[in-house]
Amino acid sequence: MSHKAVAIKPADDPAFQLPASLAGLSLPMIIGGIVALVGGAFFSNSAIGGRFGMSSYLVAYMYCLTLAIGSLFFVLIQHLTRAGWSVVVRRVAELMMIMVIPLALLFIPIAVSAYTGSLYAWSVEGYQADHGIPDAIWKEKSLWLNPNWFVFRSLIYLTVWCGIAAWYYRGSQRQDETGEITITEKLQARSGPAVIAFAFCTSFAAFDWVMSLAPMWFSTMFGVYIFTGSILSAHCAICLFSFLLQRAGAMRDEVTVEHYHDLGKLIFGFICFWGYISFSQYMLIWYANIPEETHWFYTRSTDGWFNVSVLLMVLHWGLPFAGTMSRHVRRRPWLITSWAAYILVLHLIDLYWIIMPEAGVGLGGATGIIATLVCVIGMVALMLGLMLKLAAGTRVVAVRDPRLGESLAFENF
Amino acid sequence: MTESQPKPQTVADDKKVHGVVAEFTDVDSLLAACRRVRDAGYTKADAFTPFPVHGIDTALGIKPTILPWIALAAGLSGTTIALLMQISLNGQTDLFEGIQYPYIISGKPFISLPAFIPVTFELTILLASFGTFFGMWALNGLPRFSNPMFTSPRFDRVTDDTFFLFLDAKDSRFDEAGAKALLGELGGEYVEPVLEDDSSKVIPKGLLIALATVICLSSIPALAVLRMRVTKSSSPRFHIFPDMDFSPSKDAQQTTTLFADGRAMRPDVPGTVRRGEMDWDLNFKTGIDMDKLASIDPPRAAQLVAMQSDVAVDGEDEVVSEAGADEPAEEQDGEAAEASEPTAETSAAPVTADNTPWLSENPLELSEEALARGQQQFNIYCSVCHGMNGRGNGLVNRRAQKILATTWTPPSNMHDPTLYSDVYPDGKLFSTITNGVRKMPGYASQIKAKDRWAIVAYVRALQVSQNASLEDVPESERTKIEREQAEVQAQLKAAAEAEAAKAAEAASAE
Repeated sequence: MSHKAVAIKPADDPAFQLPASLAGLSLPMIIGGIVALVGGAFFSNSAIGGRFGMSSYLVAYMYCLTLAIGSLFFVLIQHLTRAGWSVVVRRVAELMMIMVIPLALLFIPIAVSAYTGSLYAWSVEGYQADHGIPDAIWKEKSLWLNPNWFVFRSLIYLTVWCGIAAWYYRGSQRQDETGEITITEKLQARSGPAVIAFAFCTSFAAFDWVMSLAPMWFSTMFGVYIFTGSILSAHCAICLFSFLLQRAGAMRDEVTVEHYHDLGKLIFGFICFWGYISFSQYMLIWYANIPEETHWFYTRSTDGWFNVSVLLMVLHWGLPFAGTMSRHVRRRPWLITSWAAYILVLHLIDLYWIIMPEAGVGLGGATGIIATLVCVIGMVALMLGLMLKLAAGTRVVAVRDPRLGESLAFENF
Repeated sequence: MTESQPKPQTVADDKKVHGVVAEFTDVDSLLAACRRVRDAGYTKADAFTPFPVHGIDTALGIKPTILPWIALAAGLSGTTIALLMQISLNGQTDLFEGIQYPYIISGKPFISLPAFIPVTFELTILLASFGTFFGMWALNGLPRFSNPMFTSPRFDRVTDDTFFLFLDAKDSRFDEAGAKALLGELGGEYVEPVLEDDSSKVIPKGLLIALATVICLSSIPALAVLRMRVTKSSSPRFHIFPDMDFSPSKDAQQTTTLFADGRAMRPDVPGTVRRGEMDWDLNFKTGIDMDKLASIDPPRAAQLVAMQSDVAVDGEDEVVSEAGADEPAEEQDGEAAEASEPTAETSAAPVTADNTPWLSENPLELSEEALARGQQQFNIYCSVCHGMNGRGNGLVNRRAQKILATTWTPPSNMHDPTLYSDVYPDGKLFSTITNGVRKMPGYASQIKAKDRWAIVAYVRALQVSQNASLEDVPESERTKIEREQAEVQAQLKAAAEAEAAKAAEAASAE
């Protein structure tokens, strides 16, 4: 819908390079991140005890993973819909999605915990007896929830994600050099099956890694629930990172107010989607009022968690819903970016609310919260460091994408 | 390709000019012209293009639309209407007086937000869309069947490849020559006047007939329904939704194969406490001091506990279906026999002397409200036999006396001294209302325990009222009563005197 052709800068233009000020942060972030992550997990484990330490680690892990797979979905859906507008910000998403590869390595502690019983209640010796679960039921549960099968499934999810991410990342990188249009065609052609594989893996990973923290509880919507947080936070991160890159000097002319406007629309939409899914999950369980289903929400409406639940409702949905509704907000990059950063914080609280009650130590107190925060900051810093290192060796925009011109000239009505 | 050039527009003397239009061949010249027109001070100008053009709003100086605010207002109205509707339909007829018609659904609170949200959401969306759609109509002055622009012979190409800029004659700056000059100066081609559409405003007859026909036809279903409501038919009812008309759900007294005992109506789950009965203990429900009874007559206490407790009722059901009804009673008798051999027979025989430790005090907190409730319940359930004043001469009794019913046992007079609280404790009175006595049936299933206690309190008040002296009345009320008494006596006296005078008059007249 554009009528103005915008000149595309040459591929080696400095606007497409990662600014040196950011590239220099890479190594300190990697080292600091590892230190904070290990220290935080260790502190959390020793200070609170029980399954809290590993739960802190899982919060940090899920926070980074949801961002990575949300970005992966973003990239897939752009190819699936042959979207033009998003080309200038797609590389940012690609850099985030490729982080599933280091995250696959970071899964090792979680895999080990399935054997040692330090994270999942079902892997703790005597869980069945303690909770008076009938043999017949526990036998069927154990068919799915046992360490070997759990780790095997996890490997499948990680392999699929890493495979898709690596393939799309490599394709996009190769196009940077050659500019072949056939690469885009190939990426588009495979995006349908890739989205299907992605959907299965994401749903089952949510069931296995997060929902199974409460082994006897089940919600068929849970996969979608984790996915909503994932896709919402990924859009927010894309918005935030694009803004930061522009502030540092990269892609100043490429990403315009129109792209922020579109990202803002999607953020607004996914805020509603998050509210819709989380409320639907709650209402169905609340209405049917079946004890084995309600206990998950019962835990989250007692012992201090009730306040967090209400807070999430207001701050994760109500406030940003009203805040990002207006077109005037979405068309001011710094405003919509502030909201994006805000949502990224709320996404962390959401994950804390999902994961931590199952550690059985209540809110965790100031110590627990700080320990978890250190964990999360550590892992995020580690991921950012790796991303910056990767970005320094490539470009921050897919410079030879056939739709780059369309994206540059993109305008909303 | 031969394209006939339309003739240029000419203005006849009697035609009114609607405005001036000019053609442009590309977007950029149109946008530039728009800006110039805006800067020249024209506010009533419009551009027509074959496709949406970015930035044309600002170029023309068109203000941002207020449509989003209309949508927001309509959406919020939807939210409000939906919430109020659901709250009122769920029994709250008066916001300030609480639930008027408490109707429990799925054991949820009467006003439970989660259940209301889907409907609220839907109505918000619906009204917001209506607001947007019809708000757009209103802002655009729709529906409008003809636009004067169509009178311009060249205007057809606006959907094809040509851009038009139009200056409205209603603009205060408009004068035809000046507008033409401006458009020509801006590079517009074929600068022409647009004539007011003076075609007939009369709606064609054919259209009217068609409209009338459609309206008539659409009323047929409604008329058919109306007719069916007042006519009889021998053919069976037509079921539009058979699965809703013949719901597989069970009625209260039906049987089912789903449960071993075959009952469709399920007993309460063990431990069920009815709404509002949380703090009703066994003493409250029986009128007996259960602790004392347990020490005097353990089997009877156990039986009462079994009768009142849901757990035992459920257990009893299972026993009934498996082994027969008498077993539990026999077992209890057996236990009693083991405990005290000589009195083995007496526990089965009716107790002659009443040694039951009845509650001597009403456990209900006595208040004017409780007494009013007791009076209301007494007047509903008790007065038909016992009479409004409790003297045992209610309507049923009078009728029974009139027809000389042979099996009738006259209801008790509440003012009989044997029913006073010193010989007939509150607990016993409560138990009588609960379980009945002689011909009187038990009212446990009709009157809630709390209301039965309120009736007991009211009966006590009735008893006092019929034998009361002035000393029983609070100080503050005495003067009032004395005054009323004096008034009544004066009236009686006057009536008697009048009658006497009348009699005397009649006598003298004779």
